[in-house]
Amino acid sequence: MKIFSKMSKGIATLLMVLFSFMSVQAPVMAAMVTTEQLAYEQHTETQRDALRDFFSRDDVVAQLADRGVDVNAAQDRVGSLTAAEVATLHQQIDELPAGEGLGVVIGIIVIFMLLDIAGVTDIFPGI
Amino acid sequence: MQFCSFRLLKSVLAALLTGALAGCVGAPQSAALLASWEQQTLPLQSPILLDNVPFFPQDEYQCGPAALATLLGADGVAITPEELVDQVYVPARQGSLQIEMLATPRRLGRLSYPLLPELQQVLDEVASGRPVLVMQNLGLERFPQWHYAVVVGHDLAREELTLRSGLIRDYRVSMRVFERTWSRAGRWAFVAVTPGDMPVSANVQSYFQALTAFQGAASAADSQSAYDAGLARWPDSLELAMGQANLVYDGGDPLRTRDLYLDIVARHPQSAAAHNNLAQVLLETGDLGLAEDHARRAVALGGNFSQVYAETLQSILADAAQQ
Repeated sequence: MKIFSKMSKGIATLLMVLFSFMSVQAPVMAAMVTTEQLAYEQHTETQRDALRDFFSRDDVVAQLADRGVDVNAAQDRVGSLTAAEVATLHQQIDELPAGEGLGVVIGIIVIFMLLDIAGVTDIFPGI
Repeated sequence: MQFCSFRLLKSVLAALLTGALAGCVGAPQSAALLASWEQQTLPLQSPILLDNVPFFPQDEYQCGPAALATLLGADGVAITPEELVDQVYVPARQGSLQIEMLATPRRLGRLSYPLLPELQQVLDEVASGRPVLVMQNLGLERFPQWHYAVVVGHDLAREELTLRSGLIRDYRVSMRVFERTWSRAGRWAFVAVTPGDMPVSANVQSYFQALTAFQGAASAADSQSAYDAGLARWPDSLELAMGQANLVYDGGDPLRTRDLYLDIVARHPQSAAAHNNLAQVLLETGDLGLAEDHARRAVALGGNFSQVYAETLQSILADAAQQ
């Protein structure tokens, strides 16, 4: 019961972040690519690499296998995440608890990454 | 009120307890370093102590302002913890914010360079003569006691670090105990650098990130010095070259910007952003033909900023149509 409420709280947070990103149109930038934009792009790639490392960890691969998820699929998905998704996911991983907490967070990440929004709301009708 | 030095004693006990329970698992970087210290580079084989680093005995505000005054004082910025309290201490959070700790040196003309979470980097910086500001959790995971200190020395043979910490000028702590407290604070550490100097452990990505953050608060001259040092160290860095060119552009010198970008696209022909920025500058200097070439190249290469490239091309074609 506790685990479920923790998971659904995590899902709700992630969904809120996702929806907020979807509703904001990227502003049309001025004609120069600025240094801040370059820094943000590089920062995203550094975080993306960290996600790739995360999905190579033995304990994480084991957790994914428990859920029937192919680690190659997860790695492919990391490559196609948007900058906002990379940032959100990286934050989840950064705040990772040790031990049994890993399983709960992996569950959230798997659902976030591998299912459509529509699919998620089907599984958690309470949200 | 709890004092930093009192907390230090408690931290040693707490760390020893958790260390005893966890065995050597809690300090893996120390274990690795100490196992092979005789193979370390020459500067690390001898004990180091940066005795000239100033000392500001303070036991409030988690020692954040004191640690910052110490770090800045070592790099020639004369300032007291009292002057820094308002800048780094946020009462609602009952302590210094890491972001404010990084931001304050920038306002005082120093580039804040966060280290990678590796004890080796802390040791290398100190060995090169640069003290390192570190964050520690002197308590336990669940009941943290945040604390800031400055590493001013190490002795691998004795397995010790020396810190300016709280009310203790030369606090000698076991490297393993330090690592546990540092680990529980996310292995957070940074150095403050005069623009134009280069931390010995710097890597190009971290330096570019630090420089970009520094630029927001720094003078153009200081930013330029920092770019010069970066490009001297990493002459092939596309990001640093573009950052410098953009700095020149923001300073209102389109002709020099054009020359810089011509060089950049020659060395990095696959960079869409460089082609785009060159195109924009060429538009401004009136060379529409060449501008269009580079704008089209950017659009063809595509990437994260393809919207910008399309807009640049549109501007150029619109200008050309009017002529």
